[in-house]
Amino acid sequence: MTSPPPPRNEDTDWTVMLTRTGFIELDARARATALLDDGTARELCGPFDRIESPWLEPQGVVPQSDDGVIVVKGRLGGRPAVVIAIEQAFQGGGVGEVSGVKIAAALSLAARDSRDGTPTAAVLLLETGGVRLQEANLGLATVAEVCSALLELRALQPVIGVIAGTLGCFGGMSIAAGLCTTLIITAEGRLGLDGPQVIESEAGIAEFDASDHTLIWSIDGGAQRTRTGLADVLVLDDVTAIRSAVIEAMERGVPGEHRSQRIGELRARLEAVDPAAPPAPADLAAVWAHAVPQEGDQP
Amino acid sequence: MTSARAAPRDWTQRRTAKRERLEAVRSFTSGRVLDAGRMRDALQALLRPGDRVALEGDNQKQADFLAEALADCDPGVVHDLHLLISSISLREHLDVFERGVARRLDFAYAGPQSVRMAQLLADGKVEVGAIHTYVELYARMFVDLTPDVALLCAEQADHEGNLYTGPGTEDTPTIAEAAAFRSGVVLVQVNELVERVPRVDIPGDWVDLIVESPRPYVLEPLFTRDPREIGQVSILMAMLALRGVYERHGVTTLNHGIGFDTAAIELILPTYGEELGLRGKICKHWTLNPHPTLIPAIESGWVESVHCFGGEPGTERYVAARPDVFFTGGDGSLRSNRVLCQLAGQYAVDMFIGSSLQIDADANSSTVTEGRLTGFGGAPNMGHDPHGRRHTSPAWLSLLTGEAPALRGRKLVVQITQTFRSGGTPAFVESLDAVQVAKDSGMPIPPIMIYGDDVSHVVTEEGVAYLYKAAGLADRREALAAIAGATLVGRRLDERRVEALRRDGLVALPEDLKVDVCRAKRSLLAARSVEDLVAWSGGLYDPPAQFRTW
Repeated sequence: MTSPPPPRNEDTDWTVMLTRTGFIELDARARATALLDDGTARELCGPFDRIESPWLEPQGVVPQSDDGVIVVKGRLGGRPAVVIAIEQAFQGGGVGEVSGVKIAAALSLAARDSRDGTPTAAVLLLETGGVRLQEANLGLATVAEVCSALLELRALQPVIGVIAGTLGCFGGMSIAAGLCTTLIITAEGRLGLDGPQVIESEAGIAEFDASDHTLIWSIDGGAQRTRTGLADVLVLDDVTAIRSAVIEAMERGVPGEHRSQRIGELRARLEAVDPAAPPAPADLAAVWAHAVPQEGDQP
Repeated sequence: MTSARAAPRDWTQRRTAKRERLEAVRSFTSGRVLDAGRMRDALQALLRPGDRVALEGDNQKQADFLAEALADCDPGVVHDLHLLISSISLREHLDVFERGVARRLDFAYAGPQSVRMAQLLADGKVEVGAIHTYVELYARMFVDLTPDVALLCAEQADHEGNLYTGPGTEDTPTIAEAAAFRSGVVLVQVNELVERVPRVDIPGDWVDLIVESPRPYVLEPLFTRDPREIGQVSILMAMLALRGVYERHGVTTLNHGIGFDTAAIELILPTYGEELGLRGKICKHWTLNPHPTLIPAIESGWVESVHCFGGEPGTERYVAARPDVFFTGGDGSLRSNRVLCQLAGQYAVDMFIGSSLQIDADANSSTVTEGRLTGFGGAPNMGHDPHGRRHTSPAWLSLLTGEAPALRGRKLVVQITQTFRSGGTPAFVESLDAVQVAKDSGMPIPPIMIYGDDVSHVVTEEGVAYLYKAAGLADRREALAAIAGATLVGRRLDERRVEALRRDGLVALPEDLKVDVCRAKRSLLAARSVEDLVAWSGGLYDPPAQFRTW
């Protein structure tokens, strides 16, 4: 049987788009498996271990046997790695006590293995609205544990964050994203501390219209976050492209200084923005480039 | 013998009235052009109490600036208007009644305002003449509902009144014709006044008054479906429909309704359809708006022609670049026409397929549910067997009916629905909500969208029911029940009867159609996201902002 002919266009980009295997299409478990080298994936604390959140059922929410976080060990480009994927379809990727501990423990164990002679990098697949509201303070506490474990590991091995979409990465977990050695994002991905709906409900529609897609992506979108240096690599929503980007980031190893350590640079950026008259999203990259002429060139 | 000749009569009263109205707005105009800043006052001068006014509100574009000005009129000056609105979409359409500016209403569809519509009716604020289908309402404008004033919208006008509607021509020429040729006043809001329009969609001598609206008219992307939201069940139904209906009957000319189920069919043509070797054998000629989800099928060479009811925001450049497929003007842009497309959809296509909210045991369907007065729109126009058809086609003849010598074919009228809708609401019900709504609002007959005896096929995730083959009502009910799944309607049927119905060909399950249920996966969709649709179009499709996630 014949396969459909490619579109009649000279622009090769479109052909690449159509022949890709969408990463966004996949659920968290399939994403984690797709990233790892073929046949190496092995899930830890999987659904049959039935480690569920005890807090959801009393609040009328059906729990999930993996609590929405999938931890898969395997190899990436031949080297040991652990992929931690948050499932956006379960509670909006919200992190609770159990799911948070799964993330933190996986990062800590990778750090221990790295110290014990098996250097193990970590990949975080971040599709999350942040802390799960039903688990409130416990969720907040685990986000702190996640960040602490991430800091422990990133000193030894790269921790690579991937925000593919469509949910994006918001709330407490956006802090974890900010700590990553390398942050990979697609144009569909979004990154922000407060999500659009939170801003709208807290500060009103005049401050932020959460139904305005153009506005949302002009601020939180992957292209803007990469342009403004808050994410590092902009990739196509494609399994092969994302996997290559992750392996490249792994091969770059641990940098001398992480983005989150370049305090002077970050402060200069903040100072360059007047909250009373903020720059248009399209101008922000230029404003910041002007404020911080050379990357990392700070006292 | 007495003379029957009455006193001499003035045969030009309407013409005189029109002259007087235009005289009354002279101080607001320069040539044909009205002052937008004084729109309300101009309308108050133009309109007379009791006037019949056609206010353009289609299912996509809206004469919203004029609707606002009308809603703003002083009910002491303008009152008791009789409004003709095909689609009640804006708040202002009903504000007019709440404020007492208008009293009587004839309409076709009230989707977005259906709850408030039901409330106004219950409160006695609005007198409904009738709920129509789209073409029915326009038809009546040429019979007993000719408008005194037509309030319309267009993209551009020149100073001679020539109008450019662009891709969204829709209903404008029809309403303009009804008013213009029986001494009605035609007033058009345009997005832009220009020296020269790129093409004349409506000639200037039909147009009396123009106003440049302070903002472009409202235009809804009603026919855009994001492939990301198409689930596996829709894909399974699409496979069943393709094998059990399209392939079996060799359907080459067709219309698709709006919805994710039909979007799924459009998106599996280049994959599953290609694999079945059906390209060039089915789905060649369409009466359809430029659905973005049809782009992959067009690009893969499935589609020979598409005539459109209206345009679709974002598809302008794409359509303009495919003039062999779409009807386009000398300026390159789409020319749509709702009435002609409806006519084509009735007499020239072999199949209509669409979704419904409720189907009863006799296959009657309706989108009217408790507390909502949605009306009909255009689905009944498409979803019936037109008895005025005489030309034959293999698909039409494959449903041969009647007694010799009065043999005739039948249009395929297909309903496609999951047995349960989201939230666990059954699609198959014992009694349509429409029956109760009719009782509550004193309608003479229940507002049924598509009559059961017009429905030839029903497709669910369970299989296909070939209702046209049923010898009598009892057979038809059983065939429908066989694919109604776990709904009350479906549970009535004995398993053994299902076997008999399969043997007799009244029902086909996936295995009867050689449809592998396991293959019903999203990977079968030629485009799985709006980004994919853009890629298929080679960057020519510009999705509206609300469909962009990048």
